[in-house]
Amino acid sequence: MPEATGNYDSANKTGILTGWRKFFSANRLFNTTTVGVLVVLLLFLAAIFISLLTYTKWDTLLAAVGSSEILFAIGLSLVTATVSTVLAIIIAVPIAYTISKNEFFGKSLIDTLLDLPIVISPVAIGAALLVFFSTPLGSAINNNLINFVFSVPGIILAQFTVVSALAIRLLKSTFDSIDLRYEQVGRTLGCSKPQAFIRIILPLARNGLIAAAILTWARAIGEYGASVTLAGAIGMKTETLPIAISLNLLNADIEKAIAIIFILVIIAVFNLFILRIVAKQSYRL
Amino acid sequence: MIEIKDLSITLGKFFLKDINLSISDREYFVVLGPTGAGKTILLECIAGLRRTKHGEIWLGGNNVNKLPPEQRNIGYVPQDYVLFPFLNVLNNITFGLKQTTDNKNKIKEKAHEIADLIGISHLLERDTVSLSGGEKQRVALARALASSPKILLLDEPLSALDLQTARYLRFELKKIHRDLGITTVHITHNQMEAEEMADRVAILNKGEINQVGTAEEIFFHPTNAAVMNYLGRPNILDCEDCRIIGQGIMEADCRGLKIIVPHDGKPFKRIIIYPRDVYVDKLNPGCNKVNCFKGIITDIKTSANTVRLRFKVGENMIRSELPYHVFDEMGLSEGMEAFVQLSLRRIKIFERSNRNEPSAGNNQSSKDRI
Repeated sequence: MPEATGNYDSANKTGILTGWRKFFSANRLFNTTTVGVLVVLLLFLAAIFISLLTYTKWDTLLAAVGSSEILFAIGLSLVTATVSTVLAIIIAVPIAYTISKNEFFGKSLIDTLLDLPIVISPVAIGAALLVFFSTPLGSAINNNLINFVFSVPGIILAQFTVVSALAIRLLKSTFDSIDLRYEQVGRTLGCSKPQAFIRIILPLARNGLIAAAILTWARAIGEYGASVTLAGAIGMKTETLPIAISLNLLNADIEKAIAIIFILVIIAVFNLFILRIVAKQSYRL
Repeated sequence: MIEIKDLSITLGKFFLKDINLSISDREYFVVLGPTGAGKTILLECIAGLRRTKHGEIWLGGNNVNKLPPEQRNIGYVPQDYVLFPFLNVLNNITFGLKQTTDNKNKIKEKAHEIADLIGISHLLERDTVSLSGGEKQRVALARALASSPKILLLDEPLSALDLQTARYLRFELKKIHRDLGITTVHITHNQMEAEEMADRVAILNKGEINQVGTAEEIFFHPTNAAVMNYLGRPNILDCEDCRIIGQGIMEADCRGLKIIVPHDGKPFKRIIIYPRDVYVDKLNPGCNKVNCFKGIITDIKTSANTVRLRFKVGENMIRSELPYHVFDEMGLSEGMEAFVQLSLRRIKIFERSNRNEPSAGNNQSSKDRI
């Protein structure tokens, strides 16, 4: 079709193709920039990791992992993070469900307040807890019920205070994603509200619950600021893994610090791996 | 027996106003209305999923206003079935049964019995996610019926299905209703569905009940303009003369058209037929030429799925409604000649039933709309 070719040529001359070229080059610039930022970040992380590896003397590192101090820190971290996660999930389930499924006066205010522990510095939370235990009520609890200050229960309380808000936030988004009508149908099938919650909502929320527990636990095991402020950094007493890193760095025992860093990295990778598996099993709601 | 007295409720932009209904035992009752009319809210009020502050709901002679849904003994099939994704088909069906008994054999027996009745025995071990729309619908129905409820509530049960499945399930639903004799409230926006299935129909529009009656009464003797507006304007033809030509068959002379009408009895002045019951053919159809007339297309209007055509047939204006794909195949255009056939069994006598009735001589008033 000669006419069509003629039109194409004239379009070419008037610069439409040049325009297209510009368009493509703008796209390419955009892609290069975004991918470039990603590459820079990956290089940065790789540099940190490589420097860790090159700095490490492997024989001393392996000896450090077997030391009683690090074994104690691993044990204490696992126990405190697990206990604080269980407690956080137990209180987060009803709270997240209430906020997600009910409308009440002041809901958005409460919702915002519950987020405070996520955004406030953990050290500030630890300090606030310390202040609380110096009040008459706080010291009565500390002296007569459970001793929190500079002790293991203090670590659990500090972790719990920091991570419970995260657990609530994660579970709320899980409950938000569950259509209210599942519960309604359950009610018409003879379930009371609590029965519908146990027989319908919890099974629907199962994967969200597991994911929330894993992330909460990961946050708890890495918690430092609040724990160190309330429970102190007492070797072989309140020494969790992050506190052990800090103590060993202060003592210029770099190998031990690096050994603990590797342990924390391995735990983190394991957590992310499990999260992946859980995420793949989600129901199509 | 379901009785609703002066029920009013407002939920955002949806509302119900002074609803009064009485539904008999074993009745198949259809609530017909456009989207947003408040049909689902009405169903949810009966189910107890909405708290009713104004008005009363009585089920089986008891006021159930304060009764939670789990104590109302109802079966509810929501619009998109809401099957439990973490349970297979069998466990979905037995979900309600497990609330009432711990006897595993009894539960299993009942589940198989209901699955047989509904024709889903082969699906029992399947995952609900892998089911087709029609299968999901059947499972939801089986789940609702398994605990032998006194009342079955169906929220647009067929609207999400393809036409063929929906047609088949209509028949199935009626059969199940007949077999179990369960009082059923079915809400829909589909007029054909209402007409085919209902013992009685209520027209719900903008939160108010406009008319309650048999499908025949609603469609052919609408008592007010709102109902007629909602159902779409039927063709109403003035007849100058009519005579008996056989057993139950009369011939009417409507401004020159000789129309055969299935009617036995008194002479009549007007007949009524819905546009969807006026068939169109480009050539003279091969039918036995009963009520088949040649006309000129004066107007064509296309909406989402349907095309509305207006024909000038002699001195009469006759409107027809075709599915878009049918219209598309015919290649019709304005000014063209074509044949219309008035479905014999769908022609009814239009009787003046009360003074709210819309003006029947609509040929002038409806000229601006088809």
